[in-house]
Amino acid sequence: MKKITNLVLNNSKLIISLLVLITLASLYSIKTNFALETNLDTYMPKSHPAFIYSDKAEEMFDIRDAIMIAIEDENGIYNESTFKKIKALTKEVQALEVVGDKDDVLSLYTADNIKGDDGGLEIEAFFKRIPKTVERFKEIEAGVVSNEMVHKRIVSEDGKATLIFTKIKENSFTEELYNQILEIAHKYEGDGVNIYVAGQPIVEGTMAILMPQDMKKMFPIVLLLIVVVLFLVLRSVQATIISMVVVIFSSIWTFGLMLAMGIPVYAPSSLIPVMLIAIGVADAIHMFSHLQLQIKNHSDWSKKKLIENMTSEMFMPVMITSVTTSVGFLSLLTSDIYPIKYFAAFTAFGVMAAMFLSLVLIPAAVNVLGLPKAPAARKEDEDHDIFTIRASKFAVAMVRHKKWVISATVLVLIFFGVGMSKVWINSSFLARFPDKNPLVQTDAFVNAHFLGTTTVNVILEATEIDAFKNPEVLKLMDKLAIDVEADNEAVGGGLSVVDFIKRMNKVLNEDRQDFYTIPQDRDLIAQYFLLYEMSGGSDRLWDVVSDDFKTANVQFQLKGDNSKGLNGTIDSIEEFKDDFAALGVDLNFAGSGYKVLVFNDLILIGQIKSLLYSFIIVILLLSLMFKSFKIGLIGTIPVFITTIISFGILGWLNIPLETTTALISSIAIGIGIDYAVHFIDRYKINALLTNDKEITMKKTMAHSGRAISFNAIVVILGFLVLTFSAFKPNVALGAIVSLNMLTSFIGTVTVMFIVLVVGNLYIKSNK
Amino acid sequence: MKISNIILRASFYMSVGILLLGVSSPNLFAQDYQDTSDAREIAYKVYNRKAPSNGESDMTMTLINKKGGERVRSLHQFFIDLGEEERQIMFFTAPADVKNTSFMNFSYEEADRDDDQWLYLPALKKVKRISSSSKDNEFMGSDFTYEDMEKRSPERDVQTLLRSENFNGEEVWVIEATPIEEEQYTKRVVWVSKEKSLPLKMDFYDEDGELLKTLTIEKTAQIKGYWIITNQVMRNVQKNHKTVISLDNVQVENGTDESKFTQREMERGL
Repeated sequence: MKKITNLVLNNSKLIISLLVLITLASLYSIKTNFALETNLDTYMPKSHPAFIYSDKAEEMFDIRDAIMIAIEDENGIYNESTFKKIKALTKEVQALEVVGDKDDVLSLYTADNIKGDDGGLEIEAFFKRIPKTVERFKEIEAGVVSNEMVHKRIVSEDGKATLIFTKIKENSFTEELYNQILEIAHKYEGDGVNIYVAGQPIVEGTMAILMPQDMKKMFPIVLLLIVVVLFLVLRSVQATIISMVVVIFSSIWTFGLMLAMGIPVYAPSSLIPVMLIAIGVADAIHMFSHLQLQIKNHSDWSKKKLIENMTSEMFMPVMITSVTTSVGFLSLLTSDIYPIKYFAAFTAFGVMAAMFLSLVLIPAAVNVLGLPKAPAARKEDEDHDIFTIRASKFAVAMVRHKKWVISATVLVLIFFGVGMSKVWINSSFLARFPDKNPLVQTDAFVNAHFLGTTTVNVILEATEIDAFKNPEVLKLMDKLAIDVEADNEAVGGGLSVVDFIKRMNKVLNEDRQDFYTIPQDRDLIAQYFLLYEMSGGSDRLWDVVSDDFKTANVQFQLKGDNSKGLNGTIDSIEEFKDDFAALGVDLNFAGSGYKVLVFNDLILIGQIKSLLYSFIIVILLLSLMFKSFKIGLIGTIPVFITTIISFGILGWLNIPLETTTALISSIAIGIGIDYAVHFIDRYKINALLTNDKEITMKKTMAHSGRAISFNAIVVILGFLVLTFSAFKPNVALGAIVSLNMLTSFIGTVTVMFIVLVVGNLYIKSNK
Repeated sequence: MKISNIILRASFYMSVGILLLGVSSPNLFAQDYQDTSDAREIAYKVYNRKAPSNGESDMTMTLINKKGGERVRSLHQFFIDLGEEERQIMFFTAPADVKNTSFMNFSYEEADRDDDQWLYLPALKKVKRISSSSKDNEFMGSDFTYEDMEKRSPERDVQTLLRSENFNGEEVWVIEATPIEEEQYTKRVVWVSKEKSLPLKMDFYDEDGELLKTLTIEKTAQIKGYWIITNQVMRNVQKNHKTVISLDNVQVENGTDESKFTQREMERGL
């Protein structure tokens, strides 16, 4: 390190120019290669078996999430003006570029009305021309209410709202499209008519767009706050500016490299700058804090000596903390999700870049610009500094009341340990938006009046063709639909080939309700389908059964994408697996509702894995650094406590674990361990220097305690800013990281400190 | 109204679209119109050709989806032309679960009069009347819409002769027909054999002006002096789906009479 420092000191200007040049090159790369990836589909691991299967089924049955436009008329929809709106809106949506086929838009205007007519079957639209008479509207209303396939699905039970379902082409959701649809929809509002736009494509699309946007808004605020706190802590404009340059350069390098490698900015990557600023600044704080202390203590030292002392003494802790932090991020590489891998890899790179810049740019800059002002040192003597006095008192108090502290910690751990068992996982996208977001409100409206905004597809695969003309199989499907709907509050309803058969059986038997069943005769069922095709029945039948009747798709509509509801539904569907297997039918799942669930499971499993890995690696690293396995274990005490408390709070407050929340815990280990590293390092230096426990205690608490409390304050405040974000995952991120830093900090200066002292480490037993 | 036409017209007369061809001795019109540039006239001569007044045949309809999966329906059909009225009856012979299902269609020359259609379901032992369907609807889940089978008056289109060319070894006229009123297709392009006056190929364009479907005549046969299309394929290029209709054991002018076309016959089966 000394050689490097000498090199830096001898060529300071050249090195600074070089670093600026690299930064400019990175900026150029960002400018030329910038691309934001908002398509959530690209986030899914394509090669996962569940995804391969789902994709296959989605293609087979044309399963795509629909954008739902609800038209609400407080006086009921059955009137001329509202019907005109339904028709015009349907046509306008059909004409959109992203709508491939007119049949992809399902509304009261385009829906098939399967009904009996003169003993025969009639399949036609509910209306083509706008009816002119009240009688005709009454007729249509009666037709809707008596049609099980339309009532509640397309028209609400109270007849005051109707839905337009629009399937858009794959990967075609953009912000412009959303705005375009909103614009179209709002044209038709007024005269007691309200329009709501909802549906999974909008929720997902908006989320992928919102997260980076939100970060863009939060970034300057975080930046400003860090600048202010840095200044308050370091009391030097110069030190503040240099620290900021370090973290900003590292962010620019990271994005420059990522984009130069052709990797677009995914939503998680938008967190990188905030992460790097809050984390990277820690290195700078420790460096400057040490430098300022030495300036105060050794006014006789030359600039060169001060800088050399800073780099040589801080090299190890800065390097180790950066490595442990990077390890925390790199443990996320075990994830199956590429955007998370990218986020992990590049944040780790950024952390190392910040370390490199701290160790090179800070000495070079200080060398060129001169020493920073030391914080107003009112008291010449270190021992009379207010912070030092308090820190010493605190250290003594800690050791004196060690039993209390330890017992309190154990109680806290038990309390939050119990809370941990209550943690549940939510993969809901919608839950991430603020409650007042129009998306949340329109979704709630659609869920309250219709079958639901989230779809789970159950794919039934038989070994023989025509299996889904077999009454036994169909009856089991019917039972599946009825039972799952009855047992799950979340399920609004289902649609399958059974509904077509029951409907035809009923209307071909004088609309008698007792014929709303599956006929016993297999041939009759086959002949119904022939009749359906002969009578101009639409291709929508093929969305629920393959044309060889070998595979079927049961669509369940759920009210909201809450994981509890989704999991419950999937569990009750899976109970039918054996019954279907007995009939030679395989049961599987497909569709976005299910994929999101699998996706989140993957993230969480990856999470638990990476949590374990980071613990192991951090223990190993610490053991290596301090050449003691014992120290490795002691060092992880704060992050261990942090992890328990963090999950415990989620459990007790009934906050579900979700992708972002889960991601943070393993990152928090990497960051939280830093306090322990600095503290133990200082303790070791002091112990070896004085071999006096009392002095070591006090000195360490005063010296390292200062730096890590500064560090904690900066990081906590930086992340707390995020709690003002409009986007729930960012709020959670801010709150949890802040909390984790606080507990890591407290854990370090209390329990870990006590264990360190009581364990007589680094102190020869002569005292 | 039009279901009959799929078999009757599409198969026997090669009725599809603008040009209803089929009957007539091979060289009757070929000579006269070989060099004409009057597209409307070509369409008319084709439209006015004489058709056999009755007959029967086996028919196989194969629906092929984009993955190559096939669904095959086999039928036996009879038809009669009563001048102002055409009648047709067909019996399913396969698949087994719809065997003996029968379908009957009466279509009328009279303007604005819809076809009458019935379906007999043996499992119900009942004849069901089928309500008139939209022309744009697909027939029996095939790639043919009812309208595709309909006899279409040249008066409803504006025709343009695009060019003369050699098509698969035959001299053809290529005619473009654009409907005067707004309809399901915005344009049809037809390749008409100069020698047989039969369309050999037809392209259908959707409302966006994009190619939607292509009909090709794979096989024709001359039976009792009538040109009969015995194999044709309709490909929906947008859905990547196709339908093959082929005829076997074709008999024309074989004395099939009106007594065959009753609901009792539907119930009786073949």
